[in-house]
Amino acid sequence: MDCHQCKSKSQSCGTQSWKLPFFRNNQPSFSKEVPASPPIALVGMPNVGKSVLFHALTGIYVTVSNYPGTTVEVSRGLMQIASQTMTVVDTPGMYSLMPITEEEKVARDLLLIEPVTAVIHVVDAKNLGRMLPLTFQLIEAGLPVVLAVNMMDEAHRWGLDVQQDALEKELGIPVVCMAAALKQGIDELKQRIVPFLPIQPAMIPA
Amino acid sequence: MIGQVSYPEPIEAAIAQLESWWQSLGERYLFSNYSLSPRSLALLLLQKDPGLWQILEQDPEQCRHLEVLITVTQNQLKQSIGLAIAHTRQSQAQAIEQAVLHETKQARSSLAEKLHRLTVNPITGFPILVVILYYGVYKFVGEFGAGELVDRIETVFEEQINPVVNHITAQVVPWQPIQDLIGNDYGIITLGIRYATAIVLPVVATYFLMFSLLEDSGYLPRLSLMLDRLFKSVGLSGRAVIPIVLGFGCDTMATIVTRTLETKRERLIATFLLSLAIPCAAQWGVILGLLAQKPAALMFWGGFISAIFLVVGYLTARFLPGSSGRFYMELPPLRLPNLRNVVVKTWVRMKWYFLEILPLFIWASVLIWVGRLTGLFDLIIRAIEPLTFALGMPKQAAPIFLYGFFRRDYGAAGLFDLQQQGSLTGNQLVVAAIVLTLFLPCIAQLQMLIKERGAKTTWLIVLFIFPFAFLMGYLVNLGLTFFGVNF
Repeated sequence: MDCHQCKSKSQSCGTQSWKLPFFRNNQPSFSKEVPASPPIALVGMPNVGKSVLFHALTGIYVTVSNYPGTTVEVSRGLMQIASQTMTVVDTPGMYSLMPITEEEKVARDLLLIEPVTAVIHVVDAKNLGRMLPLTFQLIEAGLPVVLAVNMMDEAHRWGLDVQQDALEKELGIPVVCMAAALKQGIDELKQRIVPFLPIQPAMIPA
Repeated sequence: MIGQVSYPEPIEAAIAQLESWWQSLGERYLFSNYSLSPRSLALLLLQKDPGLWQILEQDPEQCRHLEVLITVTQNQLKQSIGLAIAHTRQSQAQAIEQAVLHETKQARSSLAEKLHRLTVNPITGFPILVVILYYGVYKFVGEFGAGELVDRIETVFEEQINPVVNHITAQVVPWQPIQDLIGNDYGIITLGIRYATAIVLPVVATYFLMFSLLEDSGYLPRLSLMLDRLFKSVGLSGRAVIPIVLGFGCDTMATIVTRTLETKRERLIATFLLSLAIPCAAQWGVILGLLAQKPAALMFWGGFISAIFLVVGYLTARFLPGSSGRFYMELPPLRLPNLRNVVVKTWVRMKWYFLEILPLFIWASVLIWVGRLTGLFDLIIRAIEPLTFALGMPKQAAPIFLYGFFRRDYGAAGLFDLQQQGSLTGNQLVVAAIVLTLFLPCIAQLQMLIKERGAKTTWLIVLFIFPFAFLMGYLVNLGLTFFGVNF
């Protein structure tokens, strides 16, 4: 899916420009007005690639780290989806809705109190079984969840494959298989979020 | 319903009862501003979620009601409620995983598994750590970054930039004080910008590159696992290895990351040790460069700082009430770092660091200029001089401690400058390096300390560190002289 607004500015949203906007105040060429609708939240355990996905969606660089605890503050960025500007929040890693550490509490409280348009639960395809309990908790909570099964490239290398349709049927929520680090599946993920958006576009490009 | 987990009968009954009870409560329902479903809230309350119970305590009657409900439910179960809920979720997750996951081939790399074992086992893990430290830090950061690169950029400054700047300012501005502000020994360009670009930048760049490589390979969590027991003895858990190791990059960043630690006590010990005994990238890169020609001195410095870390940590752990945190951490797979990610990350950190310190270094130049112009600086230096003499230092070292007060790396860079001129002996270098390492954290870290731990704790930490650093320097000098050691 291409978003037409940015196309005209010779920059598509899916593949961000190489000149990375490093600081929050110099946002890419999005419309300046603050989106009125509630944010889209990225949640998941540490090390599943939330920050990479956040970067791919918003174009803001967040230090990508390979161990828990470096995304301590909640990062916010803007993303263009179906010609709407939406806020995306990247939360610290959490294992369950019952927090143990202070950073988990930050993520939980955000979900508890702030209304969200959609929650993207990012999981590691290689450790699906260990990560699904949080998915259940998010579904139980009545949140609009989309499951992003990330790191499919590594799973394939390990000789594992996830059947997206079957998983979708089991859980009853939209599921997207992707490899955020390779920019695979980003567009599909965006497309699966569209139904959750407050204003439905008249025509969704195929 | 699809996607909904059904829990053991007693728990489901309790959830249903809570849901219908809340419906009848009307105004007294305490969670109306929460966006979680009643089912989810019921489950969290049954598991005694501390945050939600705190809210429930506003209404003692509801509290009692729930306590009774929990007891009744618990009596019908063989395991604790929390465990029963977790087990139900896990078994359902496993069932789904089996249904949707297909093994295409039996291809799990055994090499990664072997490497993992090697890094985690202390017998092989410590030698691996030593090899990484030797090649990654000593050779790459110390010799290449703080040696080669610093030399080259310094030469450019000394031969091409500084004379030109001095010449131009002498031509354009007739007034000596203004000339001193921009050029000469302590000018903004000749000192501030030179320190930032010629000494600190190459060190930080090589260090961050090395660190990003290690970070992306998945080595650091394994280091945590290996060092867990050692860290327990200083009142921390393996979890704290990450902020401490991060501290070797930048103590300010590391102070923020202590938020990942479980208990307040652990966070306090970790921040205290960070501000006392962990030198940041710029600082220890420079110290490494200083002492690299004298390996024995370097070893002594390293051993002494490690000893301080362990002894002070141990004593703090004994002194502070409470017990060490548990240890549980995700182990990401060991993988070959993606070069692009490593480069981008290094670049972003370098840029962030450089932009952060450049204004501070310029300010330091201005402050020094003001201080020298008004004579205040000479006054302070004269006040520090006895202290410097007590440490066995020459007179020129006094300003360095003053600079070090602005920023530790600034002081270290000044020391580097002095050493290049060949005016310090081995012993003096060691003592100065020790004092500067233990010394007060830089201004940025101080701000972060106040933000994270509060002003009172920060004051206590600062009031301890300041005299302690000088005392240690004094004792080391005394000891070295007493035993007739000369590095």
